[in-house]
Amino acid sequence: MIQPLRKTHRAIFLVLAVLLPVLFLSGIAFRHSWPGIKSDQVRLARARR
Amino acid sequence: MSHQYQAIGWNRQKRFYDLTVIAGVVIYVGLFVGLSAFFFPYATAETMLIRATGSAAFLLLHVVLCIGPLCRLDSRFLPLLYNRRHLGVLTFLLGAFHGVFGIIQFHSLGDKDPLVSLLTSNGNFRSLPDFPFQQLGFFALLILFLMAATSHDFWLRNLTPPVWKSLHTLVYVTYALLVGHVTLGVLQSETSPVLAIATGVGLATVLGLHLAAAQRERRVDGTKLKAVPEGFVDACDVHGIPEKCAAVCSVNGERVAIFKYDGKISAISNVCRHQNGPLGEGKIIDGCVTCPWHGYQYLPDTGASPPPFTEKVSTFRTKVVDGRVWIDPKPNPPGTRVEPSRIQASEMRA
Repeated sequence: MIQPLRKTHRAIFLVLAVLLPVLFLSGIAFRHSWPGIKSDQVRLARARR
Repeated sequence: MSHQYQAIGWNRQKRFYDLTVIAGVVIYVGLFVGLSAFFFPYATAETMLIRATGSAAFLLLHVVLCIGPLCRLDSRFLPLLYNRRHLGVLTFLLGAFHGVFGIIQFHSLGDKDPLVSLLTSNGNFRSLPDFPFQQLGFFALLILFLMAATSHDFWLRNLTPPVWKSLHTLVYVTYALLVGHVTLGVLQSETSPVLAIATGVGLATVLGLHLAAAQRERRVDGTKLKAVPEGFVDACDVHGIPEKCAAVCSVNGERVAIFKYDGKISAISNVCRHQNGPLGEGKIIDGCVTCPWHGYQYLPDTGASPPPFTEKVSTFRTKVVDGRVWIDPKPNPPGTRVEPSRIQASEMRA
């Protein structure tokens, strides 16, 4: 009775285990600004020069 | 377990559980708003509340998703599972607060209907940094609503446990949508790495725990039992079963819980009729097999709940031969009495 549910659960998690890290890492890799780079401050410093 | 209808069967543990969770959420939101006001004094109160409730809902969903595998890996986490549904409802309420405030703040000031604006204002589906992340959050909230609305035992009973559990499996779709909502939303504009690291750690924890638990379950299901005379299979060693507890084995793809109590052996289906909880991980209390999830009880020889309750699970014929437990792989109809096998004195001592 519960075996099909357990198999579905396993299948879902195997898909998520691949899909979510790819989504997360791609989202981070392709974002506009990287963590730690304060783009506004860099731009301001350049403008002052 | 109660035979009279009650909207919520409140008890001391349930109150304590709920009060602890609500206090935790209030403290979290208070700290989030307080610290945000200190470090980002230019941020508006609405923005701080939207972020506080959104992050609280996301964090709570991680907790909800981790409870299941933690209980499979270590029974000490079982008390957390008792009212997991309450955590789910609270996750929806926090998400609804976050969503409604977000729609009011970002979509209610134009000439379009706020929902139409939410669903149509951004169509950059091919760009990751500009992806319409709010729509992901909206669909996640719809699923959370569906699950919160059907979380009561009324729906569990009417939909039947397999259908109800299938419906609530949508929580994983919700989680995937919310990881997308966060990654393609706030993480695109956030310059501090803290949030990205926290999201990554949360994701790794949820996936890691589920995969570890699945691996452990796979071992139980993958063990082949040896066929013995009279159509029985050799299930386990009598001495490997602790008194008033069970050994669990997999027969024809379904799990069977073999209980040892008072010098006797009985085997019943491992699946509780309430929420499909693992009966074999429970104990015999007051002469009844007691489900570790919500305390539903069954008599070990009949698989039937004691009167006035009406739940029944399948039973299996057993034999004890030379210190080994044999079981008949063919289940009896739920509630069928099977004479427990006696453990001989010599087998008890061996």
